[in-house]
Amino acid sequence: MKKILLAIAILSLVGCAATPHGKETFPEVPKDMLTACPDLGTVDPTTTKLSDVVDSVTGNYQAYYSCKDNVDSWINWYNTQQKIFNSIK
Amino acid sequence: MWMLSFIPDSFLHLVILGVIGIGVLTYLAIPLLHFFPNLLPLKEPARILATVLIIAGVYFYGSYDTEMSWRKKVEEQQAQIDKAEAASKDANAKLDAVRKQKQKVRVEYYAQVHERVREVEKQINAECKLDPVVPKLINEAAKNPYTAGSVIVEVNK
Repeated sequence: MKKILLAIAILSLVGCAATPHGKETFPEVPKDMLTACPDLGTVDPTTTKLSDVVDSVTGNYQAYYSCKDNVDSWINWYNTQQKIFNSIK
Repeated sequence: MWMLSFIPDSFLHLVILGVIGIGVLTYLAIPLLHFFPNLLPLKEPARILATVLIIAGVYFYGSYDTEMSWRKKVEEQQAQIDKAEAASKDANAKLDAVRKQKQKVRVEYYAQVHERVREVEKQINAECKLDPVVPKLINEAAKNPYTAGSVIVEVNK
């Protein structure tokens, strides 16, 4: 009888709590969004041509808009992913 | 509950029902012992055993039911997570497509601007010769303030 009671007591340990949960992974990001903004381009220090300066300024404007697009994309990505995450009850 | 996850559900269910069933049958069989006088001393232990089996069986049935309800909740949650992950990938694909389109427009636009600069290069250089300080100033302005340090530009007097 003691053995039976002991076995039942041990078996009752199956009632120990475990917290089950679903497995969720961190949302991915488009790979090209992980690139840092480039440094601004510089002008040849010895140049006397205005066209070189205009070229450099134009290149920097392009770099700015590329970087702006990256930041805007991050904001868009965050807001979208947050909305999706919050939809999980 | 975690121990239950190692045992197949159907087998576990069968065992639990079996424990309850054996307990009940043992209980029902106790009055029959009167027909076998030799076995009468086992009456009390059999009653205790039957009681223990029924109580343990009901307890396990409760545990099993709780386990199953948790598993159902986890499955529902996992389904929501899978749906969210699919939505996340879809949103990323849309974002990526928009980014590529913007990049294409940007590259084409600035290619045109550079082309325009090339076209008027001689004209703007003919009418303006830069002071050597201009490129230096522009380069200082283009530096990142965190790494640039102090601005030192010598102006020719």
